[in-house]
Amino acid sequence: MQDTITAAINPADEKGVYLEGDALDQLKKYYQSGTLRVKAANQIGGGAAGIISETVEKSLLYGDITLPGGNMYPTRRYAACLRDLTYFLRYATYAMLAADSSILDERVLNGLKDTYTALGVPIEPTIQAVQVMKEVVTQRVGAEAGQEMDVYLDHIIAGLG
Amino acid sequence: MSIVAKVIAQSDQSDRFLSNAELTQLQDFFANGTVRVSAAQKLAANEQKIVDGGSKRFWAQCPKTPSNSGNPQKTSLCQRDQGWYIRLVSYCVLAGNAKPLEDIGLDGMRDMYVSLRVPLANLKVAMRCLKEVAMGLLSSEEAALAGPYFDQLIRAF
Repeated sequence: MQDTITAAINPADEKGVYLEGDALDQLKKYYQSGTLRVKAANQIGGGAAGIISETVEKSLLYGDITLPGGNMYPTRRYAACLRDLTYFLRYATYAMLAADSSILDERVLNGLKDTYTALGVPIEPTIQAVQVMKEVVTQRVGAEAGQEMDVYLDHIIAGLG
Repeated sequence: MSIVAKVIAQSDQSDRFLSNAELTQLQDFFANGTVRVSAAQKLAANEQKIVDGGSKRFWAQCPKTPSNSGNPQKTSLCQRDQGWYIRLVSYCVLAGNAKPLEDIGLDGMRDMYVSLRVPLANLKVAMRCLKEVAMGLLSSEEAALAGPYFDQLIRAF
């Protein structure tokens, strides 16, 4: 996977130069934002199960999707949905820490849409759930870190759309 | 790869969020970001000085070596490589991880220098001299961050 530091080092090495100017300034900003990122990752990791429960309750639970004929019925598929939402949350948290979305492309989005289509998982409710996840996460981590998480949860939404 | 990517890959491997120990590790890494930047800037600004000073020390200890053979082309190639290693150390300081040094400068390094007929034992001395000069230019905090990567470099020869 790529992260924001490696993404700065690789092109510098291609040219055989030290990191300086804009590239170094960007790294400085990243280091400064580190405490915020670590704190948010801690809150999200510690409360992941609760975040997922609340996300499902606010987006999917009371819809047709959980009834017979829906894609979250029977329980096996309900559990699969929880698992996938947890993946989204975990990888978005990784990406937020790295300040780089490439891990989402590599580990989550690559082939996801085709898989969902093949399994009959409806895209629209999935996107709704991730939208709600953004709000639930922001409530827990605060506006500033929430904005940063939005970047990566939006990246998942864009990849599904 | 940075320490951030390393810790994430580790967590991903076992399908979990980051552990408290890993989060603390990252917190410590971010907390001395300013020192990382100043150390990298000093290495960049003083590369030539470190190489020149390092060569003088090196040749005093090891006069019979390709870079001191009187062939200016050899001297400049050897010193160029030494400068590159200083640059790789600066990347490691910024990344908080030895991967840039390992991937760019150590993987295959021994085969290369054996083929170039540059004695590895001499290079070990040369790298130690680079470290000594570099450490003298850095603050103690900066030196504490850069030193371990120089040590790994020295050990590799």
